[in-house]
Amino acid sequence: MFLEIFLTLALGTIVYLFFSRKKEETLPIEEGWWGKGQKPDSEEDATVRPFKVETTEAELNDLFRRLDQTRFTEPLEDSYFHYGFNSVYLREVVSYWRNQFNWKKQVEVLNKFPQFKTKIEGLDVHFVHVKPPSLPEGRSAKPLLMVHGWPGSVYEFYKIIPLLTDPASHGLSDEHIFEVICPSIPGYGFSEASHKKGFNSVSAAGIFYKLMLRLGFNEFYAQGGDWGWLICTNLAQIAPNHVKGLHLNMVSVTNMRFTQLLSILLGRYFPGLFGFQDEDVRRMFPFLKKGPYMILMESGYAHIQATKPDTAGCGLNDSPVGLAAYILEKFSTWTEPEFRKLEDGGLERKYSLDDLLTNVMLYWVSGCMVSAMRFYKENIGKGIGTQKHEKLSVRVPTGIASFPNELLHTPRSWAQQKYVNIISFNFMPRGGHFAAFEEPELLAIDIQQFVGKVEKKEVWKEKGK
Amino acid sequence: MSLEYPRRNAVLAPAALGAGGLLVCWLLSRRKIKTLAMGDGWWGSGERPPREKEDETIQCFQIETSDREIQELHQRLDQARYIPPLEGAAFQYGFNSTYLQRVVAYWRNQFDWRKQLEILNQYPHFKTTIEGIEVHFVHVKPSRVPKGQAARPLLMVHGWPGSFYEFYKIIPLLTDPAGQGLNEDVVFEVICPSIPGYGFSEAPHQQGFDTLAAARIFHKLMQRLGFQEFYVQGGDWGSRITTNMAQMLPKSVKGLHLNFIFITSGGLGMLVSLLLGAYVPWLVGLTREDSRRLFPYFEKNVYDLLRETGYLHIQATKPDTAGCALNDSPVGLAAYILEKFSTWTDKSFRNMDNGGLERKFSLDDLLTHVMIYWVTSSIVSSMRFYKENVSKNPNAAPDARVGVYVPTGLAAFPQELAHTPRSWAKKKFKNIVTYSYMPRGGHFAAFEEPELLAQDIRQLVKKVEHL
Repeated sequence: MFLEIFLTLALGTIVYLFFSRKKEETLPIEEGWWGKGQKPDSEEDATVRPFKVETTEAELNDLFRRLDQTRFTEPLEDSYFHYGFNSVYLREVVSYWRNQFNWKKQVEVLNKFPQFKTKIEGLDVHFVHVKPPSLPEGRSAKPLLMVHGWPGSVYEFYKIIPLLTDPASHGLSDEHIFEVICPSIPGYGFSEASHKKGFNSVSAAGIFYKLMLRLGFNEFYAQGGDWGWLICTNLAQIAPNHVKGLHLNMVSVTNMRFTQLLSILLGRYFPGLFGFQDEDVRRMFPFLKKGPYMILMESGYAHIQATKPDTAGCGLNDSPVGLAAYILEKFSTWTEPEFRKLEDGGLERKYSLDDLLTNVMLYWVSGCMVSAMRFYKENIGKGIGTQKHEKLSVRVPTGIASFPNELLHTPRSWAQQKYVNIISFNFMPRGGHFAAFEEPELLAIDIQQFVGKVEKKEVWKEKGK
Repeated sequence: MSLEYPRRNAVLAPAALGAGGLLVCWLLSRRKIKTLAMGDGWWGSGERPPREKEDETIQCFQIETSDREIQELHQRLDQARYIPPLEGAAFQYGFNSTYLQRVVAYWRNQFDWRKQLEILNQYPHFKTTIEGIEVHFVHVKPSRVPKGQAARPLLMVHGWPGSFYEFYKIIPLLTDPAGQGLNEDVVFEVICPSIPGYGFSEAPHQQGFDTLAAARIFHKLMQRLGFQEFYVQGGDWGSRITTNMAQMLPKSVKGLHLNFIFITSGGLGMLVSLLLGAYVPWLVGLTREDSRRLFPYFEKNVYDLLRETGYLHIQATKPDTAGCALNDSPVGLAAYILEKFSTWTDKSFRNMDNGGLERKFSLDDLLTHVMIYWVTSSIVSSMRFYKENVSKNPNAAPDARVGVYVPTGLAAFPQELAHTPRSWAKKKFKNIVTYSYMPRGGHFAAFEEPELLAQDIRQLVKKVEHL
């Protein structure tokens, strides 16, 4: 009799698993080829080669010559940062860049973490790979993929990496120790840019998935903001069985449902009805000013990059000062929108010029601004809300760190429409768009607590079985 | 379950209020003001000098260059950094850099700026200070005027990314028709100013310089030149500025000719004509040609406009950032400006590797436009004009609710960015004397199809004067 019961249960479990697997919506993994010309018949070289950032006297002299010959335009009187980057302050930044900024020293800073390159789908993909300096007995490092966005780079993670790979030395709990992999999105920094049209976030997710497999990781955590948010989300959609947990410091919901529209009209008066907390209301309302008006004021760059990236990027690849103004304007406004009222854009309140200019230099020396901008056209060029992945949900355990000065606030109740398995949603006390760069400790702590929750659930699931 | 009842009310109540509110607004808006207030302004540096009377002299001006200026340009062209286009991209991602390198090679090796300056200086140039800034203009008088006639003053205003140079081909057709094979029954004296912040006109130092300010400054210019009554013509920003001039001082504007029509809102009528226009155009005041140019509506008007207005969005919000690199990299400047001369001349040019640029224009002419922005370092100030003019609520702008009563001639070019049928234009332009469907041509009408445009301007003037 026990045999019959056992067989029935086993059969039932198999049937249940079979059907429940069918219900899981996954995004198909697309095989891509992004290299020059025709895809060769031979197998791709899968070796992982060490890489070091280098510079030359010629490169520096060329930069200095261009900085010295910059043509500035005087700002309008009392315009602060309302018309964009204030050129009076820009002169100060350029003067620092020319006379004090030490690129050779910054290259050493960049090279302190091991970097590599490997060919995937025809492109040379660059990444930083940092293992913990030491591991307590019996413990293993948890692999964590961290993906940057625009106009950022892998350098955004340089402050948070030690907090994750060596938490004990930085006064944090060492319950979770990570080994961190930060790739450069193809078309950004030292990753080769696609030669073919159509390279979007799903393509990038596919490449990073292959990267993690190539590095020997079958299961890993993924973390991201800006484009990193979307790429990691896609990664969780194409390979949900490999992504143990998805942590995001930015969430954008593009499929607006009726309940969401209603919550915009009435959420201020009936927050509980729509799952809004007090903090949600504080951040979102007055809605017109903080929502559509803010979007209109701040999305000009996205509009032109999503339609004419080659035109928009052309001058930026030729004028380092123009490039700096364009990039650093975002580090000002996206860190704190009120910084627009300051003559210096509040830039040095949260960041050092050395750090800011290192990020700019990554775009300059690699000449990647045009390809970086093309990513906008490939992702939103056909319109927001039109892509297949925007309609699919994410079932992987998700943790969201909601920073107060992010451009747009997404309340948990909205995020839940897509991220159906949110196990952690925390309002951060301070910080803006460039979370890892600006508030590495806050972000590291949130990642750790999220991973803790995921692992507890796993243990509970294991015990339950 | 108990949420259903209050939720339904919560939807009905605001909906009813909204409908009522709309009705009240609509009724109020019908009460229109007759003219636009002229106002006053000061655009110089610092505080306006209290009792000083402005220097109203008009000085002659010649555009000059130096070896150093040319050498510096060449050096920057030589150090340009290019990124190869995506395979098969043509002009869909913006200016194709492979073709750009060819343009730059021409610019570096064959383009002769000194020769172009001689062409630019063939017409007399002047400068005069108005409201604290130096205003540049070209003033061409006819060499001979037939007996019994007087040369009619005609103010022609350019737009972005154009300049007074756009009018160089049409000027002879207007000032010397006989010499160009046209009837000399209508002869003009032409004044082409540079909008402050563009080309050789000084840029305003204060915030708030919009089309109304430009319109008022151009009125003062015409008065200073001794003209009490004159014709005005414009496209792009020039269209809005000349329209404002007609709204401010209708008695001075004998006739208004536009090759581009700005309308901020069409209201209910426009919506209805859009919904039904594809099926029963005659019922909603659309002609067959209107129908052909407007529909399919979404594709042609919404998607295309979204695709083509990225520049407008960034310039209307962050002009200083957008223009920074362009004032420092001549190649970047050329790509940005010439992309418009390609796409706004013919939208199908986006599918060509060379953007069809040289089909309608010569590289000499195109690069002269770019040089005007380059040598004057005016790209940033030209972009600021977008921010000053694109306000939070276009329907609340002062000029949106004032009608235009001067005799108006509208030339609708087929490749213009957006088509405005006569029935829609009528809501704002109360006295349309001519409305012409041009057989060919795009946004830069005077530059691309000077003969067609000249013909249409002359036609308007003849109708106004009953000739």
